[in-house]
Parts: sequence; C-alpha cells; structure tokens
Amino acid sequence: MSVKLTALLKSPWVFHLSTGSCNNCDIEILDCLTPRFDIERFGMLLAGSIRHADVLLVTGSANRKSMERVKRLYEQVPKPCLVVAIGECALSRGMFINSYNCPVPVDKIIPVDVYIPGCPPRPEAIIAGIVKLIGKVKAQAQ
Amino acid sequence: MTREDVLKDFKGKFAGDILEFTDKSPQRVYVEIKPGSIKKAALFLFKDLGARFNIATGLDARRHLEILYHFTLEDINLLLSLRVKLPKPFKTSSPAATGGGPMDSPPTTGGNDGFVPEIDSLAPLFEAANWVEREIHELLGINFRGHPDMRKLLLSDDWPEGVYPLRRDYKEWDPKAIRDRGV
Repeated sequence: MSVKLTALLKSPWVFHLSTGSCNNCDIEILDCLTPRFDIERFGMLLAGSIRHADVLLVTGSANRKSMERVKRLYEQVPKPCLVVAIGECALSRGMFINSYNCPVPVDKIIPVDVYIPGCPPRPEAIIAGIVKLIGKVKAQAQ
Repeated sequence: MTREDVLKDFKGKFAGDILEFTDKSPQRVYVEIKPGSIKKAALFLFKDLGARFNIATGLDARRHLEILYHFTLEDINLLLSLRVKLPKPFKTSSPAATGGGPMDSPPTTGGNDGFVPEIDSLAPLFEAANWVEREIHELLGINFRGHPDMRKLLLSDDWPEGVYPLRRDYKEWDPKAIRDRGV
C-alpha cells in the first residue's frame, strides 16, 4: 500500500471539501494554489471530483448534516488516500465545540493523517504540513 | 408621505393593537403589537404602505418568546420592526424558573409543559416569510398557524422531535456527542 502511495505522491491530486467552514480556510487553500505560493511545484492539482483525488482536504467543523456527506465522500475516494484536516474547526471544532450541531470532530468520523492548526492556517503552514505528510509516507515506504 | 404621516397613519389604524411604540432613531422604529393582530398589521405594511419584508428574528427572552418582523420602508428610509411577545412553556420545578430571583421567575401557577406557542403565519401573505418561519419553528418551537409547509429547514433529519436548540432550557440530548478537546 505504501509503495502505491509513494507513487501517487509524486503528483498528489487534492480534493477540497468544506464541511460548513467560514470560508477562511478555503481561501487559504486557494491561496496555496496561486502563483505566489505555487503548490503545483509539488505536483499538487485541485481535482474536480473526489473519484480523481489522492488527498482529501477537510475544512470546517463537521455538522450533523455534513457528517453524512463526509462519510459518503470518503467511501468514494480511490484507496489508498490521505486525509488532511485544515484549520482549528476541522481539528477540534474550535469555538463551535459546544454547538448543538457539531457533536464530534472530523477525526472521529474519518481517519485523519495530518492536522494543520490555525484559524486560518497560513499558506506556509499548509505547505509545511503537506511536505511533512509526503516525507512521512516516503519514510514509511523505505 | 413623510415619516410622520406614515407613523401617524399606522398608529391610528392599529390604535387598539399596539402595546408599545418605541421611536428609537430617525431610521428605526419598534412597534410591539398583540400576537393576534400581526397578520393585519403586516398586510397593511406590505400592501398599503409598500414596505419590504426584510427578515424575521426569533429569540427566547427571559420571560417570553419574541418574534421581530423587520419591514423596510425605503422611500422614507425607515426600518420598522413589529415585535410580538408569546408566552413560553415552563416547568414550575425547573431550576431555571427559580434561579433568577423573584423578578425573573414566571408566574408560579403550575407548569404548562404541553403548551405550544402559536402565532399566525405570514407565509400566505408573502412568500419571503416561508423559510424564516420554518427556521424559527425548528429552532425555537413556535408553531405558525396556516403555514403551507412546516417541515424542518436546517436541522438534520435525525434531529429528535420536540427538542429546540435555541431555547434557553436546551440540554444536550445526544449521548454520542464529545464535548472536550481530548487534551
């Protein structure tokens, strides 16, 4: 499995899923794709469909309605796949921890590989997180 | 018509229905009105004065449930909020009723647990009231009489009946919910 993943990580295609975030993390993800931060130098491309993706980026505190959608999307990703939780909401629900509509954090719904904290995380932090993920998977493969 | 004419007209027409009239600022007026006359007041504002229905706000105040219907009168630059106060269901034995001191506790003539606050729906008058009334219904448990479609709007389908998250006495109902950060 890890050999497969190492091959994929030469050009990981990412799919961006917002589970009810305030759009701030989403804008930072878009920032990463702009020429200024140019995440494409790692071969990353935004995939239009989850069925084409290798990495799932999750932002936002999964609420009761989007929890079901997160599960359904995770079932559709071609395995092996990696999940990156971006932003405080996706990590621990941030200020929405006591909300009636956010019962569990994202990592209790699907397995999460990398946590990138921040509200929102800077594009540099997102890039650093992704680079660490790639390093981790490569180390596992050896 | 000037601002004074409009307000005089409105006050004259609903003299028996207005409970309180607050002239807050040149752009803002609050009118507390009897819950039974909300439909004719809204119809008058909407049809005769040509007001635009902005949005409605529902809130659970200490002693009553409250709905504010916000209307904009654009030609005189005025935001008029119709306020209705509805009695709220309470339990005599609940700690919330006794916690706030004698001033805050509702009348102690026995609980009215099965009581559902009700008001006439404005959705038959203008379509814009449809969704916001559905939202107030699911979040605060106010029943809108004559609403064409009183389904849930925002909450998930497995949300239990009779649990209203924006009520002051809302309690955690989901045993699977995790409320700590695990650190």
